[in-house]
Amino acid sequence: MVASLVALRRPDYGYALLQRLTGHGFPVDANTLYPLLRRLEDQGLLTSEWNTEESRPRKFYRTSDEGESMLARLLDDLAAVQTSITGLIQGVDR
Amino acid sequence: MNTLTDRYLAATLRSVPPQRRDEIATELRASIEDMIEDRADGQDGTTAEREVLTELGNPDLLAARYADRRLQLIGPTYYLVWLRLLKLLLSFIPAIVGTVVAIIDVADGNGFGAIGTGIVIALHVTVHIAFWLTLVFALIERSQPTMDLPDWTVDQLPDAPVHRDISLADTIASVVMLALTIGYLPFQHYQSWVRATNGDNIPILDPALWSFWLPALIAVLLASAVFEIVKYRIGRWSWTLFTVKALLNLAFALPVVWLALTDRLLNPALAERLSWLAEADNRNLLGAAIAVGAAVVMVWDLIDTAMKTRRQTA
Repeated sequence: MVASLVALRRPDYGYALLQRLTGHGFPVDANTLYPLLRRLEDQGLLTSEWNTEESRPRKFYRTSDEGESMLARLLDDLAAVQTSITGLIQGVDR
Repeated sequence: MNTLTDRYLAATLRSVPPQRRDEIATELRASIEDMIEDRADGQDGTTAEREVLTELGNPDLLAARYADRRLQLIGPTYYLVWLRLLKLLLSFIPAIVGTVVAIIDVADGNGFGAIGTGIVIALHVTVHIAFWLTLVFALIERSQPTMDLPDWTVDQLPDAPVHRDISLADTIASVVMLALTIGYLPFQHYQSWVRATNGDNIPILDPALWSFWLPALIAVLLASAVFEIVKYRIGRWSWTLFTVKALLNLAFALPVVWLALTDRLLNPALAERLSWLAEADNRNLLGAAIAVGAAVVMVWDLIDTAMKTRRQTA
């Protein structure tokens, strides 16, 4: 979810996002990602628009302002977990 | 238009909310086509289509994720409450209903058949409770607002099981054995499978014993049965219990040994039918064997009990 929010700062459609995430070491199942995008949109964390210029209609998602603030909170949480883990590892080593 | 993709879409969209169906269909179809196109290099389209749809997995699962639907009957939020309630209800309601029904049936004059009716009704009640309780919880699971469940408190902890050195199974076995022995004493008087020449039943034990010794032995056996139950309630051997047990054993074994040795235990009428018993030597031998047997059983039992008592009082 965090990865999707980060990646969608640049608008993209479902399958392209899947490939980008996989390329960056986040292997996501298609049957998880597509519904997830829908839910994030319902929650207002993503905005979307249809692009009909290409060969087939594609829905492009982009991280909304609300999504950005949620993302900031989640990244803070992750950083806190990372700090805790690092502290614990160093504490055990000693 | 009935490709695998069409069928897959239809299967997925069946259970997606109708107002979003078209939109999801367009997007999902585009995504599937993207995926197929990406893989199609070097292999034919149908194989790629199969692979892509296989990767997407069960359409019901996908639809449930789109609709944010629960895929369990009762989830972790309610499971423990459900289990607790189920155990609580099943622990007494079927038994009570079954008993009441059986009693009413007996009052109607249906005799022993009433027990069967009671058991059947109790089973029915069990199934009903399990079904309706589960249904209610499954509905609660699917209604969105989370219920305010009472928090767990330490007061709900059950009592720790009392450690027993005397098991229920042993107690039941002992009581059943005693009951069978008590039942056999009058039974052999009427049905011993040894018949007189005129077809009458010959009791194995001397009928003269009924005037005193057999009722006395039955009383001792009854006391032993009561002792077994009391022993179970107490839960472990003590030297007091050992003394009572020893007295009961002696009260049973001593008369048996004495009667056997004085040739008063077996029915003299048996000798008329079984020629081997007619000779006095053989009768004395059998009497001695019975006496030794009873004594050995009693002594072995006392030693066994003494060892248990010493272990458990240590």
